[in-house]
Amino acid sequence: MTAIAWQRRRAAARATWREFASQRGGLVGLIGLAVITVLAVLAPLVTDASGLDVTRVTARPWEPPSASHWLGTDHNGRSVLLLTWWGTRISLVVGLAATVLSVLIGTVVGIAAAHFGGWVSAVLMRFTDFFLVLPSLVLAIALSTVLPRGLGTIVLAIGVTSWPATARLVRAQTLAVEARPFIERARALGGGHGHVIGRHVLPAVLPLVFVNTTLTVASAIVAESTLSFLGLGDPTRVSWGSLLHAANMHGAVSQRAWWFLVPPGLGVVCVVLAFTLCGRALETVLNPRLKGER
Amino acid sequence: MNGLLELRDLSVHYRTARGEVTAVRSVSLGLDAGQTLGLAGESGCGKSTVAMSVLRLLPRDARVEGQVLLDGEDVRGMSWGRLRAVRWAAASVVFQGAMHALNPVHRVGEQIAEPMRLHGVTGSVSALLDQVELPSRAARAYPHELSGGQKQRVMIAMALACEPRLVIADEPTTALDVVVQAQVLDVLKRLVSERGIGLVMISHDLSVLASTCDRLAVMRHGQVVEEGPAREVITSPAHPHTQALAAAFPTVGDPASRQVTPSEGADGPVLLRASDVHVSFGATRAVAGVDLEVRAGEIVALVGQSGSGKTTLARTLLGLQKPTAGRVLFEGRELPRSASGLRAYRRQVQLVLQDPTSALNPRHSVYEAVAEGLRIHRVDGDESARVAEALSQAELRPPELFFPSLPHELSGGQRQRVVIAGALALGPRLLVADEPVASLDASVRGEILALLLRLRRELGLAALVITHDLGLAWTIADRVAVMYRGELVEQGTVEQVLLSPRHDYTRTLLAAVPHDQRSTRPNWTNSP
Repeated sequence: MTAIAWQRRRAAARATWREFASQRGGLVGLIGLAVITVLAVLAPLVTDASGLDVTRVTARPWEPPSASHWLGTDHNGRSVLLLTWWGTRISLVVGLAATVLSVLIGTVVGIAAAHFGGWVSAVLMRFTDFFLVLPSLVLAIALSTVLPRGLGTIVLAIGVTSWPATARLVRAQTLAVEARPFIERARALGGGHGHVIGRHVLPAVLPLVFVNTTLTVASAIVAESTLSFLGLGDPTRVSWGSLLHAANMHGAVSQRAWWFLVPPGLGVVCVVLAFTLCGRALETVLNPRLKGER
Repeated sequence: MNGLLELRDLSVHYRTARGEVTAVRSVSLGLDAGQTLGLAGESGCGKSTVAMSVLRLLPRDARVEGQVLLDGEDVRGMSWGRLRAVRWAAASVVFQGAMHALNPVHRVGEQIAEPMRLHGVTGSVSALLDQVELPSRAARAYPHELSGGQKQRVMIAMALACEPRLVIADEPTTALDVVVQAQVLDVLKRLVSERGIGLVMISHDLSVLASTCDRLAVMRHGQVVEEGPAREVITSPAHPHTQALAAAFPTVGDPASRQVTPSEGADGPVLLRASDVHVSFGATRAVAGVDLEVRAGEIVALVGQSGSGKTTLARTLLGLQKPTAGRVLFEGRELPRSASGLRAYRRQVQLVLQDPTSALNPRHSVYEAVAEGLRIHRVDGDESARVAEALSQAELRPPELFFPSLPHELSGGQRQRVVIAGALALGPRLLVADEPVASLDASVRGEILALLLRLRRELGLAALVITHDLGLAWTIADRVAVMYRGELVEQGTVEQVLLSPRHDYTRTLLAAVPHDQRSTRPNWTNSP
């Protein structure tokens, strides 16, 4: 009988896709994301990683864009195009990993708070409020200063500070779903907590979580760039934030080296815009009432 | 005839994605001042569309044909300004669902005054409130501070604000319980006779219309299938659809509508017993000391107004709510408290909820919904055979055809059958049904009730049916328990309680049931 369920799910997925594809903004975002992801994945195959090594540079520093270096060179003479390209990888990885962490914490806390209610809810929501009122950037800075530097730290710092909004959202949705009579029916049939959450609450909450994820990725990438720009990222890896950090440190502005500042900045803008467009389109698919307000 | 309102050959079509749908098909009706016209029919028959077309309140995608004459003037030809002047000043509407038609952030006094202000009419809000029998201080209340019946009266006061000659009441009493419904109907009747306004009343409940209207029109699939003086339509319905509607709202005391023989299933062993059960939520006592028994193979009706604690009692009997004091015994043993013990108990006692539309997860197919209980209890054996059996017991045949359907593809009656099948799949011995037919259309109600009776006959299934509808209790129950403010004020066999009630509250309930002209009031001292 699972065949029926799968058939239906496939049909539902097709319908969702059609709805999504009918929105030009979402489609543009999705194509943009696909292109950026493919480029990021292919970077080690297409380009030569040795170009990132300061000891092996051949070009002069602060070279403006030319045929050999399309986006010029940085203070060490490395190609800015190559740096930006490789920076995509770290920005995406950190953005996605931090989002997964944040959405996971948020969903678990939100569902648990709404489902169990009572003192569990009180404790969890006060805990959420605590993280909500702390300025998350300051907290992230504090965390990444205290913990050893590295990719893991920055993921942790962003993930741990950005989940409260998700938790609140998921809790609200869970409360709405749990008030529906079919939850009462499931309980009367003998279903326990696991059954109610797994079979009824989670499938109803997941679409919302999914939308929230795409929107969170955008802010996580910005957060990563911010932290790296402030010099708190992993110093051994190139990311868009650390490029901007380097540009700032080595006086790209006084050198009038716009080619060092603009590409990583545009990278951040493009990825964030693409994720936001996708998220908005998904949101409209799941909540058709938003359509009229455009 | 040059009456107050005249519909000539009215048709309404809606443009939808699937082409044009005809909601109303050449309807012709007339109404004079001081008269009441009832429009009866099931959901989707077009009765509300007819009403809304009078004030041109239909959505943009509606296309109207024919004439709507209000005092001889065609509403369809009116200019926008003229229409605005006519709306409310000449004809007004009491909307369905007073809970949602009032703005929660304004005092009701302001809302009653709003149409007067818009039309530049002078008048007094307190006089209007007085007409609907509300104290004038009610004007300072916010909607949430009023009860359902009071809100409905505010809606009526609002409709009367500009002294219209025509009032259209769209299901004015649907969400109210019997006692309040009787009060609201009395107010409407009095206004018609005192002020000589014309009233169009829309309802799915033929007995409500029968008790208030002079003339009655029965609609089906957008057409008027029968029209005439209310008395004639009720007593000798010509169209089969009218007959079905009339049968769905049985009269208490009418032997023809009673479907149980008195001795049936009265002497089985006691299955479920509640003794001195109390349930309190903080300071409010929802259930205050209830003793109730359900025997094997017996149908017990638990009757009472909304807020009387019926549903809380049912949830307690199911173990979904812990009693504050007292005990619930199933086959002589106290209800288990542990999770696994309760789970085992739930194979014996199952719940059927009021609104099947919300009781089914919209994402689950019929198969999944019915198999849910089997999966929870890890029942061995052929799952799909059991699901098919439960579905055919609930008269969804052939069951395989329904397996992949989603709830929204089914009709209301079919959905309720799926809920019942889901309960039956576990092979329970007692069904607790909370208003099982309250949200269903008239013609379907009878079928679902017949199903409950058949399950009792064939499977020996006992049922506790919770209802506000005394006619329903009269139709299917063996015994009746009347609940009032958390206590059972009276219980006994249906004949005892409904034909010779001893408690005042039972008499109030019985008196509030709308009486049509089909039968005279039952004689309380004679049992049939």
